[in-house]
Amino acid sequence: MSTAAAPNYELIQQDGLETNLLEVSMGPHHPSTHGVFRMDVKLDGETVVDLRPVFGYLHRNHEKLAENMSYLSSMPFTDRLDYFNSMTNNWAYALAAEKLIEVEVPERAEYLRVIMAELTRLVNHVSLVGFFINDLGALGTPLLYAFREREKILDLFEQASGARMMCNYFRFGGLRNDVPEGWLERAAKVVDHFPSFLDEYEQLLCENEIILSRTQGVGNLPRELAISAGVTGPMLRASGVAYDLRKVDQYGIYDRFKFRVPYTDGDTGDCYDRFMIRMLEMRESIEILKQALAGIPEGEIMGNAPRVFKPKPAESYGRIEGPKGELGFYLIADGTPKPYRYRVRPPSLINLTVLRDMCLGGKIADAVIILGSIDIVLGEVDR
Amino acid sequence: MSLELLIDILIATVPLMLIFATLFAFTTWLERKALARIQNRIGPNKVGIPCTRIGLFGLGQPAADGIKMIFKENIVPRGADRLFHLLAPILALIPSMLVLCFLPLDFPWLNENSVKAFLLDGAVIFFFAITGLNTLAVFMAGWASRNKYSLLGGMRAVAQMVSYEIPLVLSAVIVVMMVGSLNAGEIAGAQKGGNWFVFSPWGFAAFVIFFIAALAETNRSPFDLPEAESEIIAGYFTEYSGFKFALFFLAEYIAMFAISGLAVTLFLGGGDGPGLAVLPWLSVIWFLAKIFALIAVMIWLRGTLPRLRVDQLMGFAWKFMLPLSILNIFVAGFAWHAEQLDNKFIMVITWLISLAVLYGAASGLNQLNRGKVRPREYKYAE
Amino acid sequence: MRILGGGIFKGMAVTLRNFVGSYINKKERLPTNDYSWRADGALPQSIGDYPKEKGEQLSDTTTVTEYSRNFPMLLHDGGEPMDTVRCVACQICERECPPQCIYIEKDYDENGKYIKRPAVFDIDVSVCMSCQICVEVCPFDAIVMNSQFELSTPDRFGGLLVRRDDLLKSNDYYHKIHPEEAAARDQKMAVEKAAKEAKKKAAAEKAKAAAEKKAAEAAKEEAK
Repeated sequence: MSTAAAPNYELIQQDGLETNLLEVSMGPHHPSTHGVFRMDVKLDGETVVDLRPVFGYLHRNHEKLAENMSYLSSMPFTDRLDYFNSMTNNWAYALAAEKLIEVEVPERAEYLRVIMAELTRLVNHVSLVGFFINDLGALGTPLLYAFREREKILDLFEQASGARMMCNYFRFGGLRNDVPEGWLERAAKVVDHFPSFLDEYEQLLCENEIILSRTQGVGNLPRELAISAGVTGPMLRASGVAYDLRKVDQYGIYDRFKFRVPYTDGDTGDCYDRFMIRMLEMRESIEILKQALAGIPEGEIMGNAPRVFKPKPAESYGRIEGPKGELGFYLIADGTPKPYRYRVRPPSLINLTVLRDMCLGGKIADAVIILGSIDIVLGEVDR
Repeated sequence: MSLELLIDILIATVPLMLIFATLFAFTTWLERKALARIQNRIGPNKVGIPCTRIGLFGLGQPAADGIKMIFKENIVPRGADRLFHLLAPILALIPSMLVLCFLPLDFPWLNENSVKAFLLDGAVIFFFAITGLNTLAVFMAGWASRNKYSLLGGMRAVAQMVSYEIPLVLSAVIVVMMVGSLNAGEIAGAQKGGNWFVFSPWGFAAFVIFFIAALAETNRSPFDLPEAESEIIAGYFTEYSGFKFALFFLAEYIAMFAISGLAVTLFLGGGDGPGLAVLPWLSVIWFLAKIFALIAVMIWLRGTLPRLRVDQLMGFAWKFMLPLSILNIFVAGFAWHAEQLDNKFIMVITWLISLAVLYGAASGLNQLNRGKVRPREYKYAE
Repeated sequence: MRILGGGIFKGMAVTLRNFVGSYINKKERLPTNDYSWRADGALPQSIGDYPKEKGEQLSDTTTVTEYSRNFPMLLHDGGEPMDTVRCVACQICERECPPQCIYIEKDYDENGKYIKRPAVFDIDVSVCMSCQICVEVCPFDAIVMNSQFELSTPDRFGGLLVRRDDLLKSNDYYHKIHPEEAAARDQKMAVEKAAKEAKKKAAAEKAKAAAEKKAAEAAKEEAK
């Protein structure tokens, strides 16, 4: 499906002047391709005529590796998928494996899982917005403000799990360890401070005329295309579909929290919508966090699941609403300690498939910000 | 050429170049430090006096950078046009250095008989003529590098610089009209005693247009498209390294000084400021202080704003800046005639009318150009 | 009515506030080495200009957080390390290690009899990803995470392959770097040990009772 009218090249050639398309290979070592991603772009002047995404530079055999080790052993590897959101990756995988071995997760662990996942969402969205504005050409100022706040959340992660990014914190049937004393109060402090930072961030970004004119009407993703391409997450909601797995599946204990899902009416679905939906989602995450931090009970954090186990032959699919979209893990057990098949449904990759449709007809600068607004992490795209 | 004239020329030019080269080093430090603080970082703070632990707030950083630049390998891509690749940074530096002579800086060591380029009739014209050469250097760099990003950057630079030259010149025309002279010294002299051009509606509008166009001319954010990092890596100097890159860097900053200096001359009263009656040499300090104030605003903008897109940039020049600056010329002409009447009441009326016309025109043009761009409302699903 | 360029001015106000704030409110705005969020000053406040001058807390014996993990170490219970080493070279960790960075060889005495300790225990820290899976699967609480971080070495291969004798650390050291975790682990081990002993005792008593019974029966038979 072509969304943009490409200029008529035959006409250009008829007037006797020969014009050539300029083929530019953007990446894999380009400052704004968010990792080792390459776009083969054909340009007419500055206008994108054709675009071919090339990836696989970061492929590290994640799925096959996981099929050759026990269930628990691939948990730390899920951290490395989307290295911004190790907590939610852990959760999706734990969910899939828990369905196989059928263990109950204790109440406190469920609460902590929600807290960790929503903190992760804050980390992801706030830095994504920073990166996005960086792609727009700001000199890193919003990004560094975002990282200033992100550090506080990463400190919390470090304190709870021992690592800032590769948390490896979730276990089948619970969490690896309880949070240390005073952690919840500190988390509450960070959460209480966050809205004031968001206010400042919104003041800096949301009304800036340059940002408005750069992002509005750029990279339109129609609702039908978004649905048929399997796009999920904030991108789908920006295209006008109010679909959120936290509401649809209500995995974990999301049915206990009151929160709203921001979405558009689907007329535009451009970069600005994707950017704003993420800004609004952060506010909702804060609401969930406040409720969870207030309601968390005392108790065990680990159900009685074995460390190494041999599930009965079965298959399971665990999915969560990751910050980037639906993150799913599909497992087939064959009665051995290793999964027979292990498959990741990476939201980054599937959201990336619509890149060409959104970029055609735009300027090269638009291609960069459209890629930024998709929110990809190459660790997850290439796996 | 007699020896005295040669000495005279050296006295007039060498200190100028030394002062601005030093200021360049200081400005790179200032920019890094200020940007760092804007972004809540600390910025350079380690390099100070060598072999000691004295940091001096990182003031040694420019020297360290310079030494590093000089000793870095000079890499020219295979297939590049070596001659033009070498010439481009030199050609970029020469015009920006040259136009410094046209800034009305009354150094105390210059007497009435000294060579003063700024007293040239037509200094303003010379200024624009010579800075126009910069465009050539940039395109030369982009073309000679044999790199697609460089080429894109070079083409962007040409389009941008040519477009923004027009509002730049048209806003300078207003001052020339009011003073009736192209002589930089006379223009500065006409604003003595706080009678700066920026303190009038047309002068202010012209100053704002001039400043925005100057940002575009010197490739500063938010108009730094020729070197847009997130899109085309480093634009026309992608393939430059070592000292050639340093020359480009130097040229860019000197051009910033030059164009800020011109803005100060045209709109901010040149070296005018309090205390001149007692200490005449203060005028140099005032002049440099005003230049630094403008540069501080440039740094501030760079720390805040994202970049425009190519078509928006051109649209902004042709659809907003150009009509506004032409309208401003009419307003200024109208005001000049009103001024001749020498009537306070008429002046007040003129001020109000020109304010209303200029603001109305600006917001009207803004409305016309902005299309449907507006903050939006969002829905929530429970 | 919206002011022309109002959004830009708003943004500039924010950056100005941050610029000024970075001088006034350093703790809030600037990245600091001041770990104020850490509980009640248990850790020293200054970190120093790291490679040149070491801050007070930056030694190998202090932990960064309670659960911080860098690379694994082997525990022994004090005294001569190899006499009290907890590891029995069961090789579970070697098998479960996700990046396969552990190499173990069992130890045998001169008669070829297996003595429960490792002859070789190497961890390649250039491969190790600090995931702590080995700690979790170890049934003997023999391997735990160290927080030592000064591992830089000019030798790329040998220097990053940590040998058994360098991995051995005493339980006291473990208590120093992870007090809570170590205490919990000791308690767990004590409970397990007590349970084991109780079981053993029960088994022994049972055996004793059985033997007595047998003996009684035998005596009975003899008496017959």
